[in-house]
Amino acid sequence: MNSLERIKAALAFAPLDRTPAVPQLFGHAAVLAGVALGDYLRDGSLLARCQLGALQRYGHDVVFAFMDLCVETEAVGSTLQYREHQYPDVASYALASAGDVAALAVPDPAVAGRMPQLLRAAGILRGELGDTVLVAGCVAGPMTLATQLLGIETALYLAADDPASFEKILDFSAAVSIRYGVAQIEAGVHLPIVFDPSASPAVVPPQFFRELLLPRLQRVFAAFRQAGALANWLNIAGPTAATLPYYPEAGVDIANFDYYVEPQRAQQLLPATCLDGNLKSLDFVEAQPEQIAAAATRLVEVFVARGGFLLSSGCEIPPEAKPENIAAMVAACRKG
Amino acid sequence: MLNPAMNQLVASLLDGDHAAALAEARRLRASGLAAEQIVTEGLEAAMRRLDDKCTVESFNLLEIMLVGRAVSAVANELYPEGVPPAQGRATFVIATLEGDVHDLGKNIAKMVLIGKGYRVVDLGKDCPLATLANAALREHAQAVLVSGLITSVIPQVRKVRAALDECGLAGIKLVAGGAALKQSSAEALNVDYVAETAFDGARYLDGLMREAP
Repeated sequence: MNSLERIKAALAFAPLDRTPAVPQLFGHAAVLAGVALGDYLRDGSLLARCQLGALQRYGHDVVFAFMDLCVETEAVGSTLQYREHQYPDVASYALASAGDVAALAVPDPAVAGRMPQLLRAAGILRGELGDTVLVAGCVAGPMTLATQLLGIETALYLAADDPASFEKILDFSAAVSIRYGVAQIEAGVHLPIVFDPSASPAVVPPQFFRELLLPRLQRVFAAFRQAGALANWLNIAGPTAATLPYYPEAGVDIANFDYYVEPQRAQQLLPATCLDGNLKSLDFVEAQPEQIAAAATRLVEVFVARGGFLLSSGCEIPPEAKPENIAAMVAACRKG
Repeated sequence: MLNPAMNQLVASLLDGDHAAALAEARRLRASGLAAEQIVTEGLEAAMRRLDDKCTVESFNLLEIMLVGRAVSAVANELYPEGVPPAQGRATFVIATLEGDVHDLGKNIAKMVLIGKGYRVVDLGKDCPLATLANAALREHAQAVLVSGLITSVIPQVRKVRAALDECGLAGIKLVAGGAALKQSSAEALNVDYVAETAFDGARYLDGLMREAP
Protein backbone atom coordinates (compact mmCIF):
# COMPACT_ATOMS: atom_id res chain seq x y z
CA MET A 1 0.00 0.00 0.00
CA ASN A 2 1.58 3.31 -0.99
CA SER A 3 0.84 6.62 0.70
CA LEU A 4 -1.88 7.71 -1.71
CA GLU A 5 -3.60 4.30 -1.53
CA ARG A 6 -3.41 4.51 2.26
CA ILE A 7 -5.09 7.91 2.33
CA LYS A 8 -7.74 6.74 -0.16
CA ALA A 9 -8.45 3.77 2.10
CA ALA A 10 -8.80 6.07 5.13
CA LEU A 11 -11.19 8.24 3.14
CA ALA A 12 -13.33 5.20 2.37
CA PHE A 13 -13.14 3.87 5.95
CA ALA A 14 -11.57 0.76 4.37
CA PRO A 15 -8.93 -1.51 5.95
CA LEU A 16 -5.38 -0.19 5.72
CA ASP A 17 -1.88 -1.26 6.66
CA ARG A 18 -1.33 1.62 9.11
CA THR A 19 -2.74 5.02 9.99
CA PRO A 20 -1.67 7.65 7.43
CA ALA A 21 0.70 10.31 8.77
CA VAL A 22 -0.09 13.79 7.48
CA PRO A 23 1.92 16.26 9.59
CA GLN A 24 1.16 19.81 8.45
CA LEU A 25 4.70 20.62 7.36
CA PHE A 26 4.90 23.84 5.41
CA GLY A 27 7.68 26.30 6.32
CA HIS A 28 9.35 23.59 8.39
CA ALA A 29 10.45 22.00 5.12
CA ALA A 30 12.54 25.12 4.41
CA VAL A 31 14.08 25.15 7.88
CA LEU A 32 14.92 21.46 7.54
CA ALA A 33 16.72 22.15 4.26
CA GLY A 34 18.59 25.15 5.67
CA VAL A 35 16.77 27.48 3.30
CA ALA A 36 15.47 30.94 4.24
CA LEU A 37 11.69 30.85 4.62
CA GLY A 38 11.43 34.07 2.61
CA ASP A 39 13.07 32.31 -0.37
CA TYR A 40 11.02 29.14 0.02
CA LEU A 41 7.81 31.16 -0.16
CA ARG A 42 8.71 32.82 -3.46
CA ASP A 43 10.34 30.03 -5.44
CA GLY A 44 8.19 27.11 -6.52
CA SER A 45 11.11 24.90 -7.53
CA LEU A 46 12.80 25.46 -4.18
CA LEU A 47 9.55 24.79 -2.32
CA ALA A 48 9.10 21.49 -4.18
CA ARG A 49 12.69 20.45 -3.49
CA CYS A 50 12.30 21.19 0.23
CA GLN A 51 9.00 19.31 0.44
CA LEU A 52 10.60 16.29 -1.23
CA GLY A 53 13.50 16.54 1.21
CA ALA A 54 11.11 16.55 4.17
CA LEU A 55 9.26 13.57 2.70
CA GLN A 56 12.51 11.66 2.38
CA ARG A 57 13.51 12.56 5.93
CA TYR A 58 10.25 11.68 7.68
CA GLY A 59 8.55 9.18 5.36
CA HIS A 60 5.07 10.61 5.92
CA ASP A 61 2.20 10.36 3.44
CA VAL A 62 1.65 13.82 1.98
CA VAL A 63 3.49 16.79 0.46
CA PHE A 64 2.11 20.30 0.43
CA ALA A 65 2.21 22.78 -2.42
CA PHE A 66 1.50 25.59 0.00
CA MET A 67 3.23 28.91 0.56
CA ASP A 68 1.21 31.00 3.05
CA LEU A 69 -2.22 32.54 3.42
CA CYS A 70 -1.15 35.83 1.81
CA VAL A 71 -0.70 34.49 -1.74
CA GLU A 72 -4.23 35.30 -2.84
CA THR A 73 -4.46 38.77 -1.31
CA GLU A 74 -1.10 39.66 -2.84
CA ALA A 75 -2.29 38.44 -6.25
CA VAL A 76 -5.39 40.63 -5.90
CA GLY A 77 -3.34 43.74 -5.07
CA SER A 78 -2.31 43.81 -1.40
CA THR A 79 1.33 44.65 -0.65
CA LEU A 80 3.24 42.24 1.58
CA GLN A 81 6.17 42.65 3.89
CA TYR A 82 8.53 39.70 3.55
CA ARG A 83 10.94 38.60 6.25
CA GLU A 84 13.80 36.13 5.98
CA HIS A 85 12.61 33.70 8.64
CA GLN A 86 8.90 34.42 9.01
CA TYR A 87 5.76 34.26 6.95
CA PRO A 88 4.90 37.56 5.27
CA ASP A 89 2.31 40.01 6.56
CA VAL A 90 0.08 42.38 4.66
CA ALA A 91 1.58 45.88 4.66
CA SER A 92 -1.28 47.50 2.74
CA TYR A 93 -4.60 45.92 1.94
CA ALA A 94 -6.05 45.60 -1.57
CA LEU A 95 -9.37 47.04 -0.44
CA ALA A 96 -9.28 50.52 1.06
CA SER A 97 -13.06 50.39 1.35
CA ALA A 98 -15.76 47.81 0.82
CA GLY A 99 -17.06 49.56 -2.30
CA ASP A 100 -13.76 48.99 -4.08
CA VAL A 101 -14.49 45.28 -4.50
CA ALA A 102 -16.45 45.96 -7.70
CA ALA A 103 -13.24 47.17 -9.33
CA LEU A 104 -11.22 44.07 -8.42
CA ALA A 105 -10.62 41.29 -10.93
CA VAL A 106 -10.22 37.64 -10.00
CA PRO A 107 -6.49 37.06 -10.52
CA ASP A 108 -5.24 34.76 -13.26
CA PRO A 109 -3.15 32.09 -11.47
CA ALA A 110 -0.89 31.79 -14.52
CA VAL A 111 0.50 35.28 -14.03
CA ALA A 112 -0.64 36.85 -10.75
CA GLY A 113 1.84 37.36 -7.92
CA ARG A 114 3.32 34.12 -6.57
CA MET A 115 0.53 31.93 -7.92
CA PRO A 116 2.59 30.77 -10.94
CA GLN A 117 5.39 29.70 -8.58
CA LEU A 118 2.94 27.68 -6.52
CA LEU A 119 1.62 26.02 -9.69
CA ARG A 120 5.18 25.22 -10.64
CA ALA A 121 5.72 23.56 -7.26
CA ALA A 122 2.52 21.55 -7.71
CA GLY A 123 3.66 20.34 -11.14
CA ILE A 124 7.11 19.34 -9.91
CA LEU A 125 5.75 17.47 -6.89
CA ARG A 126 3.19 15.54 -8.94
CA GLY A 127 5.78 14.85 -11.63
CA GLU A 128 8.19 13.43 -9.05
CA LEU A 129 5.66 11.49 -6.98
CA GLY A 130 2.95 10.58 -9.45
CA ASP A 131 0.27 8.65 -7.60
CA THR A 132 2.49 7.32 -4.83
CA VAL A 133 2.11 10.17 -2.33
CA LEU A 134 -0.75 12.63 -1.88
CA VAL A 135 0.14 16.00 -3.41
CA ALA A 136 -2.00 18.59 -1.64
CA GLY A 137 -2.45 22.13 -2.84
CA CYS A 138 -3.87 24.85 -0.64
CA VAL A 139 -6.14 27.85 -0.98
CA ALA A 140 -7.31 30.46 1.49
CA GLY A 141 -11.00 30.03 2.22
CA PRO A 142 -13.48 32.83 1.44
CA MET A 143 -13.64 34.24 4.98
CA THR A 144 -9.87 34.25 5.38
CA LEU A 145 -9.33 35.96 2.04
CA ALA A 146 -12.01 38.54 2.88
CA THR A 147 -10.16 39.38 6.09
CA GLN A 148 -6.88 39.52 4.17
CA LEU A 149 -8.31 41.95 1.62
CA LEU A 150 -9.56 44.43 4.22
CA GLY A 151 -7.72 43.66 7.45
CA ILE A 152 -9.47 41.47 9.98
CA GLU A 153 -10.84 44.20 12.23
CA THR A 154 -12.22 46.23 9.32
CA ALA A 155 -13.68 43.08 7.78
CA LEU A 156 -15.43 41.98 10.96
CA TYR A 157 -16.90 45.41 11.63
CA LEU A 158 -18.08 45.56 8.01
CA ALA A 159 -19.72 42.14 8.38
CA ALA A 160 -21.72 43.53 11.31
CA ASP A 161 -22.42 47.04 10.02
CA ASP A 162 -22.96 46.41 6.32
CA PRO A 163 -23.57 42.70 5.69
CA ALA A 164 -24.62 43.21 2.06
CA SER A 165 -21.26 44.79 1.17
CA PHE A 166 -19.42 42.13 3.13
CA GLU A 167 -21.23 39.39 1.22
CA LYS A 168 -20.03 40.89 -2.06
CA ILE A 169 -16.46 40.58 -0.78
CA LEU A 170 -17.13 37.00 0.30
CA ASP A 171 -18.46 36.19 -3.18
CA PHE A 172 -15.38 37.70 -4.78
CA SER A 173 -13.17 35.75 -2.37
CA ALA A 174 -14.95 32.49 -3.19
CA ALA A 175 -14.40 33.16 -6.89
CA VAL A 176 -10.66 33.64 -6.20
CA SER A 177 -10.54 30.40 -4.18
CA ILE A 178 -12.24 28.50 -7.02
CA ARG A 179 -10.05 29.80 -9.81
CA TYR A 180 -6.83 29.30 -7.86
CA GLY A 181 -7.81 25.85 -6.59
CA VAL A 182 -8.91 24.62 -10.01
CA ALA A 183 -5.60 25.87 -11.46
CA GLN A 184 -3.78 23.83 -8.80
CA ILE A 185 -5.74 20.72 -9.78
CA GLU A 186 -4.86 21.32 -13.41
CA ALA A 187 -1.22 21.77 -12.40
CA GLY A 188 -1.14 18.38 -10.70
CA VAL A 189 -2.35 18.43 -7.10
CA HIS A 190 -4.65 15.60 -6.08
CA LEU A 191 -6.72 18.09 -4.09
CA PRO A 192 -6.48 21.65 -2.84
CA ILE A 193 -7.00 21.96 0.93
CA VAL A 194 -9.17 24.92 1.91
CA PHE A 195 -7.58 26.74 4.85
CA ASP A 196 -10.03 29.09 6.47
CA PRO A 197 -8.76 30.05 9.93
CA SER A 198 -10.89 33.21 10.00
CA ALA A 199 -13.99 31.00 9.72
CA SER A 200 -13.18 29.48 13.12
CA PRO A 201 -15.79 29.82 15.87
CA ALA A 202 -13.01 31.61 17.76
CA VAL A 203 -13.46 34.44 15.26
CA VAL A 204 -17.11 34.35 14.18
CA PRO A 205 -20.13 32.71 15.82
CA PRO A 206 -21.56 29.44 14.42
CA GLN A 207 -24.65 31.11 12.93
CA PHE A 208 -22.34 33.40 10.94
CA PHE A 209 -20.62 30.27 9.61
CA ARG A 210 -23.94 28.65 8.73
CA GLU A 211 -25.55 31.64 7.06
CA LEU A 212 -22.65 33.40 5.35
CA LEU A 213 -19.77 30.95 4.96
CA LEU A 214 -21.41 27.58 4.37
CA PRO A 215 -22.98 28.61 1.02
CA ARG A 216 -19.62 29.90 -0.23
CA LEU A 217 -17.75 26.81 0.92
CA GLN A 218 -20.35 24.65 -0.85
CA ARG A 219 -19.67 26.58 -4.06
CA VAL A 220 -15.89 26.20 -3.69
CA PHE A 221 -15.98 22.48 -2.96
CA ALA A 222 -18.49 21.75 -5.73
CA ALA A 223 -16.13 23.44 -8.19
CA PHE A 224 -13.14 21.46 -6.92
CA ARG A 225 -15.05 18.20 -7.20
CA GLN A 226 -16.10 19.03 -10.74
CA ALA A 227 -12.48 19.85 -11.61
CA GLY A 228 -11.40 16.39 -10.46
CA ALA A 229 -10.25 16.81 -6.87
CA LEU A 230 -9.67 13.46 -5.20
CA ALA A 231 -11.55 14.71 -2.12
CA ASN A 232 -12.53 17.94 -0.42
CA TRP A 233 -10.49 18.85 2.64
CA LEU A 234 -11.38 21.70 5.00
CA ASN A 235 -8.88 22.92 7.55
CA ILE A 236 -10.20 25.27 10.23
CA ALA A 237 -8.33 25.41 13.53
CA GLY A 238 -9.64 26.33 16.96
CA PRO A 239 -12.74 25.27 18.90
CA THR A 240 -14.78 24.03 15.91
CA ALA A 241 -17.21 21.65 17.69
CA ALA A 242 -20.15 23.93 16.90
CA THR A 243 -19.40 24.09 13.16
CA LEU A 244 -18.09 20.59 12.38
CA PRO A 245 -21.64 19.23 11.88
CA TYR A 246 -22.08 21.54 8.88
CA TYR A 247 -19.07 20.16 7.05
CA PRO A 248 -20.86 17.31 5.19
CA GLU A 249 -23.38 19.86 3.91
CA ALA A 250 -20.45 21.93 2.63
CA GLY A 251 -19.19 18.92 0.66
CA VAL A 252 -16.26 18.16 2.96
CA ASP A 253 -14.69 14.67 2.80
CA ILE A 254 -11.76 15.31 5.17
CA ALA A 255 -12.25 17.50 8.23
CA ASN A 256 -9.40 18.90 10.27
CA PHE A 257 -9.97 19.24 14.02
CA ASP A 258 -7.76 21.03 16.49
CA TYR A 259 -6.71 20.17 20.03
CA TYR A 260 -9.71 22.03 21.45
CA VAL A 261 -12.01 19.23 20.22
CA GLU A 262 -11.71 15.83 21.85
CA PRO A 263 -11.33 13.05 19.27
CA GLN A 264 -14.34 11.15 20.63
CA ARG A 265 -16.47 14.27 20.23
CA ALA A 266 -15.22 14.82 16.68
CA GLN A 267 -16.22 11.22 15.90
CA GLN A 268 -19.72 11.82 17.27
CA LEU A 269 -20.11 15.06 15.35
CA LEU A 270 -18.86 13.63 12.05
CA PRO A 271 -19.52 9.88 12.11
CA ALA A 272 -19.11 9.37 8.36
CA THR A 273 -16.40 11.93 7.55
CA CYS A 274 -12.67 11.25 7.50
CA LEU A 275 -11.01 13.28 10.25
CA ASP A 276 -7.50 14.62 10.59
CA GLY A 277 -5.98 16.01 13.76
CA ASN A 278 -5.41 16.92 16.47
CA LEU A 279 -1.95 17.03 18.09
CA LYS A 280 -1.13 20.39 19.63
CA SER A 281 1.11 22.32 17.25
CA LEU A 282 3.30 23.97 19.84
CA ASP A 283 4.15 20.59 21.36
CA PHE A 284 6.28 19.93 18.28
CA VAL A 285 8.47 22.81 19.49
CA GLU A 286 8.33 22.43 23.26
CA ALA A 287 7.62 18.76 24.06
CA GLN A 288 9.92 15.75 24.00
CA PRO A 289 9.70 12.96 21.39
CA GLU A 290 8.34 10.45 23.93
CA GLN A 291 5.50 12.85 24.77
CA ILE A 292 4.63 13.27 21.09
CA ALA A 293 4.83 9.51 20.60
CA ALA A 294 2.49 8.89 23.54
CA ALA A 295 -0.06 11.49 22.39
CA ALA A 296 0.07 10.21 18.80
CA THR A 297 -0.35 6.59 19.90
CA ARG A 298 -3.38 7.50 22.03
CA LEU A 299 -4.98 9.20 19.05
CA VAL A 300 -4.29 6.33 16.69
CA GLU A 301 -5.85 3.92 19.19
CA VAL A 302 -8.99 6.05 19.53
CA PHE A 303 -9.59 5.67 15.80
CA VAL A 304 -8.54 2.05 15.30
CA ALA A 305 -12.05 0.63 15.45
CA ARG A 306 -13.68 3.42 13.47
CA GLY A 307 -11.11 4.11 10.73
CA GLY A 308 -11.47 7.25 8.63
CA PHE A 309 -8.52 8.98 10.25
CA LEU A 310 -5.33 10.76 9.24
CA LEU A 311 -2.92 11.48 12.07
CA SER A 312 -2.02 15.15 12.00
CA SER A 313 -1.54 18.26 14.05
CA GLY A 314 -4.54 20.49 14.69
CA CYS A 315 -2.81 23.39 12.97
CA GLU A 316 0.49 23.99 11.17
CA ILE A 317 3.55 22.42 12.78
CA PRO A 318 5.69 25.53 13.41
CA PRO A 319 8.72 25.96 11.16
CA GLU A 320 11.00 25.84 14.22
CA ALA A 321 9.64 22.43 15.38
CA LYS A 322 12.12 19.79 16.54
CA PRO A 323 12.65 17.22 13.76
CA GLU A 324 12.77 14.39 16.31
CA ASN A 325 9.22 15.27 17.37
CA ILE A 326 7.91 14.97 13.82
CA ALA A 327 9.78 11.69 13.43
CA ALA A 328 8.15 10.46 16.65
CA MET A 329 4.70 11.26 15.30
CA VAL A 330 5.33 9.40 12.04
CA ALA A 331 6.81 6.45 13.92
CA ALA A 332 3.63 6.20 16.03
CA CYS A 333 1.67 5.62 12.81
CA ARG A 334 3.94 2.79 11.81
CA LYS A 335 2.96 0.97 14.97
CA GLY A 336 -0.76 1.33 14.49
CA MET B 1 -27.35 43.69 41.10
CA LEU B 2 -27.76 45.96 38.09
CA ASN B 3 -28.75 49.54 38.73
CA PRO B 4 -32.08 49.84 36.81
CA ALA B 5 -30.99 53.22 35.48
CA MET B 6 -28.27 51.34 33.56
CA ASN B 7 -30.54 48.74 31.92
CA GLN B 8 -30.71 50.44 28.56
CA LEU B 9 -26.98 51.20 28.46
CA VAL B 10 -26.03 47.64 29.36
CA ALA B 11 -28.45 46.22 26.78
CA SER B 12 -27.06 48.47 24.04
CA LEU B 13 -23.49 47.57 24.95
CA LEU B 14 -24.23 43.84 24.88
CA ASP B 15 -25.98 44.23 21.52
CA GLY B 16 -22.77 45.80 20.23
CA ASP B 17 -24.80 48.84 19.20
CA HIS B 18 -22.23 51.56 19.74
CA ALA B 19 -24.42 54.40 18.49
CA ALA B 20 -27.27 53.54 20.88
CA ALA B 21 -24.83 53.00 23.76
CA LEU B 22 -23.23 56.37 23.15
CA ALA B 23 -26.61 58.11 23.01
CA GLU B 24 -27.69 56.46 26.26
CA ALA B 25 -24.41 57.37 28.01
CA ARG B 26 -24.91 60.99 26.97
CA ARG B 27 -28.47 60.89 28.29
CA LEU B 28 -27.28 59.47 31.62
CA ARG B 29 -24.62 62.17 31.94
CA ALA B 30 -27.17 64.87 31.13
CA SER B 31 -29.46 63.48 33.83
CA GLY B 32 -26.69 64.10 36.36
CA LEU B 33 -24.94 60.72 36.73
CA ALA B 34 -21.18 60.91 37.28
CA ALA B 35 -18.85 59.46 34.67
CA GLU B 36 -17.35 57.16 37.25
CA GLN B 37 -20.77 55.73 38.12
CA ILE B 38 -21.51 55.04 34.46
CA VAL B 39 -18.21 53.15 34.22
CA THR B 40 -18.64 51.10 37.38
CA GLU B 41 -22.37 50.40 37.12
CA GLY B 42 -22.78 50.42 33.34
CA LEU B 43 -19.63 49.41 31.46
CA GLU B 44 -18.39 47.03 34.11
CA ALA B 45 -21.82 45.41 34.46
CA ALA B 46 -21.91 44.81 30.70
CA MET B 47 -18.44 43.29 30.75
CA ARG B 48 -19.42 40.98 33.63
CA ARG B 49 -22.41 39.73 31.65
CA LEU B 50 -20.23 39.17 28.59
CA ASP B 51 -17.67 37.37 30.72
CA ASP B 52 -20.38 35.02 32.06
CA LYS B 53 -21.50 34.27 28.52
CA CYS B 54 -18.05 33.69 27.04
CA THR B 55 -16.82 30.20 27.71
CA VAL B 56 -13.85 28.91 25.72
CA GLU B 57 -16.27 27.34 23.24
CA SER B 58 -18.46 30.37 22.75
CA PHE B 59 -15.82 33.09 22.83
CA ASN B 60 -15.69 34.71 19.41
CA LEU B 61 -13.82 37.78 18.30
CA LEU B 62 -16.68 39.31 16.33
CA GLU B 63 -19.04 39.52 19.28
CA ILE B 64 -16.34 40.73 21.65
CA MET B 65 -15.17 43.35 19.15
CA LEU B 66 -18.67 44.76 18.74
CA VAL B 67 -19.19 45.04 22.49
CA GLY B 68 -15.65 46.36 22.88
CA ARG B 69 -16.23 49.02 20.24
CA ALA B 70 -19.37 50.17 22.07
CA VAL B 71 -17.57 50.18 25.42
CA SER B 72 -14.65 52.15 23.96
CA ALA B 73 -17.02 54.67 22.40
CA VAL B 74 -18.69 55.30 25.77
CA ALA B 75 -15.35 55.38 27.65
CA ASN B 76 -13.96 57.91 25.14
CA GLU B 77 -17.07 60.02 25.52
CA LEU B 78 -16.76 60.02 29.30
CA TYR B 79 -13.00 60.48 29.38
CA PRO B 80 -11.78 62.06 26.11
CA GLU B 81 -8.24 62.32 27.52
CA GLY B 82 -8.25 58.73 28.77
CA VAL B 83 -9.21 57.40 32.18
CA PRO B 84 -7.23 59.41 34.79
CA PRO B 85 -4.79 57.18 36.71
CA ALA B 86 -6.27 58.18 40.04
CA GLN B 87 -9.69 57.09 38.92
CA GLY B 88 -8.70 54.02 36.92
CA ARG B 89 -8.53 50.94 39.10
CA ALA B 90 -4.99 50.09 38.05
CA THR B 91 -2.66 50.61 35.12
CA PHE B 92 -1.44 47.86 32.80
CA VAL B 93 0.83 48.08 29.79
CA ILE B 94 0.08 45.78 26.88
CA ALA B 95 1.94 44.95 23.67
CA THR B 96 2.52 42.49 20.88
CA LEU B 97 6.26 41.89 20.89
CA GLU B 98 8.84 42.58 18.22
CA GLY B 99 8.55 40.01 15.43
CA ASP B 100 4.78 39.69 15.67
CA VAL B 101 2.56 42.19 13.87
CA HIS B 102 -0.76 40.53 14.68
CA ASP B 103 -2.45 42.73 17.24
CA LEU B 104 -6.11 41.73 17.19
CA GLY B 105 -5.78 39.60 20.33
CA LYS B 106 -4.05 42.45 22.12
CA ASN B 107 -6.79 44.86 21.06
CA ILE B 108 -9.46 42.52 22.40
CA ALA B 109 -7.70 42.20 25.76
CA LYS B 110 -7.36 45.98 25.92
CA MET B 111 -11.07 46.48 25.24
CA VAL B 112 -12.06 44.01 27.94
CA LEU B 113 -9.79 45.66 30.51
CA ILE B 114 -10.95 49.19 29.67
CA GLY B 115 -14.51 47.92 30.02
CA LYS B 116 -13.62 46.79 33.51
CA GLY B 117 -12.39 50.26 34.43
CA TYR B 118 -8.65 49.68 34.16
CA ARG B 119 -6.25 52.10 32.55
CA VAL B 120 -4.44 50.36 29.70
CA VAL B 121 -1.35 51.74 27.99
CA ASP B 122 -1.20 50.18 24.53
CA LEU B 123 2.31 49.96 23.06
CA GLY B 124 1.06 48.52 19.77
CA LYS B 125 2.58 45.68 17.78
CA ASP B 126 6.16 44.72 16.90
CA CYS B 127 7.16 46.29 20.24
CA PRO B 128 10.82 46.05 21.39
CA LEU B 129 11.42 44.64 24.87
CA ALA B 130 13.11 47.82 26.11
CA THR B 131 10.13 49.93 25.05
CA LEU B 132 7.81 47.62 26.96
CA ALA B 133 9.91 47.63 30.14
CA ASN B 134 10.48 51.40 30.07
CA ALA B 135 6.76 52.05 29.60
CA ALA B 136 5.91 49.78 32.54
CA LEU B 137 8.31 51.80 34.71
CA ARG B 138 7.14 55.20 33.43
CA GLU B 139 3.45 54.42 33.77
CA HIS B 140 3.76 52.81 37.23
CA ALA B 141 2.07 49.74 35.79
CA GLN B 142 0.77 47.01 38.08
CA ALA B 143 1.14 44.35 35.39
CA VAL B 144 2.59 43.81 31.93
CA LEU B 145 0.55 41.95 29.32
CA VAL B 146 1.91 40.39 26.13
CA SER B 147 -0.10 38.82 23.32
CA GLY B 148 1.26 36.52 20.61
CA LEU B 149 -0.34 34.86 17.60
CA ILE B 150 2.74 33.18 16.16
CA THR B 151 4.99 30.65 17.84
CA SER B 152 8.18 32.31 16.60
CA VAL B 153 7.64 35.16 19.08
CA ILE B 154 7.98 32.80 22.06
CA PRO B 155 11.75 33.37 22.51
CA GLN B 156 10.97 37.09 22.86
CA VAL B 157 8.31 36.40 25.47
CA ARG B 158 10.81 34.44 27.54
CA LYS B 159 13.05 37.52 27.66
CA VAL B 160 10.45 39.94 29.00
CA ARG B 161 11.07 39.05 32.63
CA ALA B 162 14.79 39.88 32.33
CA ALA B 163 14.00 43.19 30.61
CA LEU B 164 11.65 44.11 33.46
CA ASP B 165 14.23 43.09 36.04
CA GLU B 166 16.76 45.40 34.39
CA CYS B 167 14.34 48.29 34.88
CA GLY B 168 13.96 47.49 38.56
CA LEU B 169 10.56 45.88 38.08
CA ALA B 170 11.40 42.47 39.48
CA GLY B 171 8.08 42.02 41.26
CA ILE B 172 5.73 43.15 38.51
CA LYS B 173 3.23 40.57 37.28
CA LEU B 174 3.56 39.35 33.72
CA VAL B 175 0.64 37.82 31.80
CA ALA B 176 0.73 36.19 28.36
CA GLY B 177 -2.12 35.33 26.01
CA GLY B 178 -2.99 34.81 22.36
CA ALA B 179 -3.36 31.83 20.05
CA ALA B 180 0.30 30.76 20.14
CA LEU B 181 1.15 31.60 23.71
CA LYS B 182 -1.85 29.93 25.28
CA GLN B 183 -0.66 26.56 23.98
CA SER B 184 2.36 26.94 26.23
CA SER B 185 2.70 27.19 30.01
CA ALA B 186 3.64 29.95 32.44
CA GLU B 187 6.78 28.04 33.33
CA ALA B 188 7.87 27.57 29.72
CA LEU B 189 7.20 31.22 28.88
CA ASN B 190 8.74 32.56 32.11
CA VAL B 191 5.59 34.53 32.96
CA ASP B 192 3.20 34.56 35.93
CA TYR B 193 0.08 33.52 34.09
CA VAL B 194 -1.05 32.32 30.67
CA ALA B 195 -4.58 33.47 29.85
CA GLU B 196 -6.88 31.18 27.88
CA THR B 197 -9.05 34.14 26.80
CA ALA B 198 -9.12 37.90 27.35
CA PHE B 199 -11.70 37.37 30.09
CA ASP B 200 -9.62 34.69 31.76
CA GLY B 201 -6.70 37.14 31.86
CA ALA B 202 -8.94 39.89 33.20
CA ARG B 203 -10.18 37.60 35.97
CA TYR B 204 -6.59 36.83 36.94
CA LEU B 205 -5.80 40.55 37.05
CA ASP B 206 -8.98 41.27 39.04
CA GLY B 207 -7.78 38.74 41.60
CA LEU B 208 -4.35 40.33 41.79
CA MET B 209 -5.82 43.77 42.26
CA ARG B 210 -8.09 42.52 45.02
CA GLU B 211 -5.08 41.08 46.84
CA ALA B 212 -2.97 44.21 46.31
CA PRO B 213 -2.42 46.31 49.45
